[in-house]
Amino acid sequence: MSKGDVMRTRTLILNILIFLLPSIILVSIFLIYPIFYTIYLSFIDIDGSPVGFENFRKTLFRSDVLDFKRIRGFPSVSPPYGALVHNVIWIAIHLPITTFLGLILAVLLRNVKGASIIKAIIFMGMIIPLVVSGIIIHFTFEKDTGIVNVFLGFLGIEPKSWLMYPETALYTLALSSVWIWTGFSMVVYSAGLEAIPKELYEAAEIDGTGPIQKFFYITLPLLKPVTITVVTMTILWELKIFDFVFSSTRGGPGGATNVLALQIYFDYFFTIPSRPDLACSLASILTLITLAVACIALKPVIKIAVRRYAV
Amino acid sequence: MKVSKLVLALVIVIIILAGLAAYFAYEAYFKPKPKIVTLTVIGPWSGPEMEAFLPALEEFEKRYPHIKVEYRIMRSEDLGMVLPAQFKAKTAIGDVMFIAWPWFVAEMAKKGHLLEITDIIDPADYWPREFVDVVTIDGRIYAVPYAAWVKPGFWYRKSFFKKHGLKPPANYEEFKGLLAKLKDILGPKRAIASGDGVGWPLSDVTEHFLIYFGGTELWKDLIAGKVDWTKDARVRKAFDELTALLKEGYFSDPADWTIRLTEWWEGKYGIYFMGNWIIGMVKKPEDLGLFPLPGIKGIVIGSDWIFIPKYTKYPEEAKLLVKFLAGPKGQVIYCNKAGKVPTNIKVKPEDMAPFVKEQVEALKGLAALGDLDDTIGGKFQKTFWDQLKRLWVHPEELEDVLAKIQEAYLETIKKKP
Repeated sequence: MSKGDVMRTRTLILNILIFLLPSIILVSIFLIYPIFYTIYLSFIDIDGSPVGFENFRKTLFRSDVLDFKRIRGFPSVSPPYGALVHNVIWIAIHLPITTFLGLILAVLLRNVKGASIIKAIIFMGMIIPLVVSGIIIHFTFEKDTGIVNVFLGFLGIEPKSWLMYPETALYTLALSSVWIWTGFSMVVYSAGLEAIPKELYEAAEIDGTGPIQKFFYITLPLLKPVTITVVTMTILWELKIFDFVFSSTRGGPGGATNVLALQIYFDYFFTIPSRPDLACSLASILTLITLAVACIALKPVIKIAVRRYAV
Repeated sequence: MKVSKLVLALVIVIIILAGLAAYFAYEAYFKPKPKIVTLTVIGPWSGPEMEAFLPALEEFEKRYPHIKVEYRIMRSEDLGMVLPAQFKAKTAIGDVMFIAWPWFVAEMAKKGHLLEITDIIDPADYWPREFVDVVTIDGRIYAVPYAAWVKPGFWYRKSFFKKHGLKPPANYEEFKGLLAKLKDILGPKRAIASGDGVGWPLSDVTEHFLIYFGGTELWKDLIAGKVDWTKDARVRKAFDELTALLKEGYFSDPADWTIRLTEWWEGKYGIYFMGNWIIGMVKKPEDLGLFPLPGIKGIVIGSDWIFIPKYTKYPEEAKLLVKFLAGPKGQVIYCNKAGKVPTNIKVKPEDMAPFVKEQVEALKGLAALGDLDDTIGGKFQKTFWDQLKRLWVHPEELEDVLAKIQEAYLETIKKKP
């Protein structure tokens, strides 16, 4: 390498660093420092003495987070099962429905005239602040004033305050949050569908392939990277859910809708004196789980990137 | 001679006119004007309660034209969460604030976040009642109760009772008989309306049962942290009676308390346990009837405490406002509209509205007790509210509900500063 090349490389690196510096400073102050400080707080008690993993043990083995007594009775025993289990239940209900609905809507509305208006209406759930959505849901499922009971009445189902009963509250919340997130998966899938070359469908038609076969042999495989994105983002949203639950039920009744983020909030702000040890250790656990999910989900994407770089 | 007199008169007139012009010009353009200060007041009242409170602020603005007041709504539950972080950052969202938790005020004062108001408040002007008194730390005053709310018992509409030939009960058996009759008239889960919000309406009615069956001694023991919720016979008795009524289907499912208020007023429910603030929220207060559980010895009473954060930009103006609001005039304006009881003993009976005066008289024979969940606060409060919601729909889970309350109670009492 000549002296000129070395100089040019150095200048290039310097330029990159100069451009990156503002972001590095901001990210360090507002992201990296709080993360590491939270982790640090998870290893000390309220008085500041180091306690090793004691806070993690304390935070995990309490009924607010994992209620083993009630979990053992699942499903005959109704919630609360603890915030961690509630998040898992939320994912189990919400993830398949929103992903499937988003995909179906994107496919069905692909070549429909005026589809953008329908999509905009479906996307409304994403636009409304989650706090507002929570309040809407709170009243929608009320026994005497909620509209849901009117429709259920037509099906012969007894009206009840769905969010007031521990056995229905969590499932009601998870199901009612579907309309909020379906707009996201539908839009992402719509973008993914646009990227599939039309020639593939034309070739398949020449071969006499039906619409169902086209969906399963062309659309679905080619949408795999999009599905990974949708699933990852949805799981992360479900793990971090807070404001929707806070404004609709505050984690009640009897802790039946409590979730991890809400528990962190209660530990830090609702307990007098505040319990940063429990809140931060739970926050670290939540960060770890979300990180794991992101890594697993992003693995195929990273693989593709590495393969391209190697080529 | 005549001309000179005329000239003289003219000169005098000109001088007077010039003087007047100079005076008015000075008044209008040159006189230093007091700077207009805008104070932000944060209180928990919205809707009709806010409508009742705003005239007190307007009266203050009339008295002090250089001070404008902006009112913002924030409930105690929200304020209690926001303030510690704000105070740590040495800021405050308001200049004068109201909160229902004296323990919280004391805690903030101890940490040095509040302005001392000893120079403007004379404790002798306020009720000597234990749970509604001024907040003092080491003899220094930091907060003063503004208008007392009382949770006196079950409200009914006189016209509804008259129509169905019902009368307030004279003993507990009659109370149960009344509930049975109301169930016959209105159907299951319609005898007693159950309000919800963050949870306090259910804890209020539960506290009434605890006082009725456990007396004031139980109350003091509960607040002192001496009671085991799962074992104490007095607590068990109160909860056994309450759950029996829940199992009979007398209580409705909980729903937003203002919705239940409207529904109860429309005749969909028979009776409603609420505080005296509903007087200011109904269309015909004269149609309101009230009965406590017959023979109860104490009543839950509380207030909203006014305090000034140390970080206000206008400490002197904020003190003027607190002095006015805590004084007789500032309290009576609000109380007469909101149906609450002034905590300032200098309010003259003739200035009180009839329903306020009635309450003052009724309170004389009863022990005033602090709101249990507000007094203990913290995790206990949240758990108590939340577990009662569960009990309301699943009274058969009483054992587990009490165990959870006990767990939170121990944790909170142990860690209470």
